[in-house]
Amino acid sequence: MLLAIDTSAGTSVAVVDLTQGVIAERGVADTMRHAEVVGTLIQECLTEAGVDATALSGVVGGMGPGPFTGLRVGIVAARVFALGINRPLVPVVSHDAIAYGSYRTGHTGPLLVVTDARRREVYWSAYSGADAEGLPIRIGQPALAKPAELLEDDFVHAGLPRLDAATISAGDLGMVAELGYAAGHPFAADEALYLRSPDVTVSKNGPKRVS
Amino acid sequence: MTWQLRRATLADVDAIMLLETRIFENDAWSTEMMARDVGDPGCYYLVAFPPDSPDHIVAYGGVQAAQRAIESDIQTIAVTEEARGQGLGRVLMLSLITEARKRGARETFLEVRADNPGAQHLYRSLGFEDLGVRRGYYQPDNVDAIVMRLTIPPAEMQFTGGPAAESTPEPAPRRPLNRTEPLVLGIETSCDETGIGIVRGTTLLSNTIASSMDEHARYGGVVPEVAARAHLEEMVPAIHAAVAEAGIRLDEIDAIAVTNGPGLAGALMVGVGAAKSLAIALDVPIYAVNHLVGHVGADLLRGEGVTTDAPLEYPTIALLVSGGHTSLLLVRDLVSDVELLGETIDDAAGEAFDKVARVLGLPYPGGPQIDRVAATGSPTAIRFPRGLSHQKDVAKHRYDFSFSGLKTSVARWVEQKQDAGETVPIDDVAASFREAVVDVLLTKAVAACTDLGVPRLLLGGGVIANARLRQVAQERTDAAGIALRIPPLSLCTDNGAMIAALGAQLIMAGHEPSTLDFGADSTLPVSLIQS
Repeated sequence: MLLAIDTSAGTSVAVVDLTQGVIAERGVADTMRHAEVVGTLIQECLTEAGVDATALSGVVGGMGPGPFTGLRVGIVAARVFALGINRPLVPVVSHDAIAYGSYRTGHTGPLLVVTDARRREVYWSAYSGADAEGLPIRIGQPALAKPAELLEDDFVHAGLPRLDAATISAGDLGMVAELGYAAGHPFAADEALYLRSPDVTVSKNGPKRVS
Repeated sequence: MTWQLRRATLADVDAIMLLETRIFENDAWSTEMMARDVGDPGCYYLVAFPPDSPDHIVAYGGVQAAQRAIESDIQTIAVTEEARGQGLGRVLMLSLITEARKRGARETFLEVRADNPGAQHLYRSLGFEDLGVRRGYYQPDNVDAIVMRLTIPPAEMQFTGGPAAESTPEPAPRRPLNRTEPLVLGIETSCDETGIGIVRGTTLLSNTIASSMDEHARYGGVVPEVAARAHLEEMVPAIHAAVAEAGIRLDEIDAIAVTNGPGLAGALMVGVGAAKSLAIALDVPIYAVNHLVGHVGADLLRGEGVTTDAPLEYPTIALLVSGGHTSLLLVRDLVSDVELLGETIDDAAGEAFDKVARVLGLPYPGGPQIDRVAATGSPTAIRFPRGLSHQKDVAKHRYDFSFSGLKTSVARWVEQKQDAGETVPIDDVAASFREAVVDVLLTKAVAACTDLGVPRLLLGGGVIANARLRQVAQERTDAAGIALRIPPLSLCTDNGAMIAALGAQLIMAGHEPSTLDFGADSTLPVSLIQS
């Protein structure tokens, strides 16, 4: 049984299990309240699932891509929860949860997942389809782009059916981890996928004059 | 005891070699070899030191990890006798492995003496496996080397079991909160220090600080996004280190305390997210506390390096001076009654030090640099303005501070000299600027003590490291018959121990825990001690 946490868009938390599926799931779509709601959502999911934290066998963290500030809240919560119960962290690319959800509900074949990156940019990942376990097969890395770039003919995944998502389901995220582990797939790197450098530049001219 | 880590530079090679030749008597590296490694961008060396004595190197270690190379090598690691047995070797190893992982390494290798079971145990506990033996590798002692390899885990922890559900034990009822001597873990992330502290009642058990200061140096000041990213990466290693240093288990913790403001919003959120998650995972209560009141709480701690014996008396005036704050508080009771008397209306004092250092061509952080060059300068050479000290300002801003005009005044003075083709007397400028800051800080603090009839002054915040500030504080309080208290410097800079200390005080005073829905508040008023 796994606890799954994602704050790459809103905040979503779930308790999932390979055989029982999604046991509890709670979400808040607001993209400005991650730190406020994450604790309550975790608590509610554990209570609804009727499990003690120590009964979990791992914690799934949605690694993004996602805008800076919110993304970190879920990742640090997942890492620290794993530390607290002395169980492993299972990093999962958040877009994989969106794609998994789409295939689970009937989509087949190629798919381009697109999410808001703010500042008039988007994050995208490309998938060729689902494998025998129902897991999405990612063929294009999570990347950052101007919206217009995805519409150009020479975009590497031009013409793929496109899914714009505003929320990520921690239930789907957790099931990607469960199914991926059962199938022996490697997990994602434990790295926050900001896909942007911090907004800062080194001044080469020294301090500005005041007089 | 508390240690801090920073990346080693060539300036550290002499100090490293002092340890190297002592610890590895017969097979020490030469100074040239060490300097080549430390200066090699493909290598990454760390040194550990007590927070208040950055030149006193107690341990070092290095990893060779070229960018994007799959393999990396632990080159060396050594901990001096005085610092052993406190988990410092493990912290160093974890930091080196983390750096190797960041550079793209998937494996790291090392050799260890066959006659050093302690080191072998440490490496195996970190997940290293024995690969083989090199006969007679260590000469002239003719000792074998055991070659070890670590497959660097993607996460902080190895995947030890499958996600299949385990048998669910009956949930144990939460044990009653220990209100006499609670074991509290404090988390502080309001600026650029990831601070984790553990206290038992008023006893300091550990104070781990991971600072991202080096990453901000090239920008000349703290970059909020850089600080927040560093908090995310340092959080788990810092908790590990604090728990190891305190000699406790995480599941013994009675409560979590966390800074929820004031500070940098994005940085605070990392601490808040971590604290809530840890509290739920451990099934313990959480206390969201005020950063500034935490600085006062630091004075209550007792333990190694803490010399004060008399308890903190109330009421007391507190002067908190750092890179982010310059505040004067009236503390009638730490857990229930703290009043803001005044604060800076523009720059914080530490910020002014950084900006003036930049004007003088000195590196970041500016405080220690200004202190260094001011040593040979005259504090009375130039009369720089004392902000908000004129009669007309005092009516409205009696206990407020302003350092923006002072910074501009220094810059203008320097520019006039430069425009006239004259040499700028950097030492006099630094000494005179520092004097202006110190003068106005202490004038207002002593005035608050006198006006309000409170003969006690407590100092806190990173700028307290400034020797001249402490000296003038002693002189002025002695002259005015005011008792001066200064916590150890390692507890004056931002740290998690002071947050844990305040949390413990709230618990011992019978306060109820915070509910889980608090957020990070970058402008949290000081009167809100617990959210």
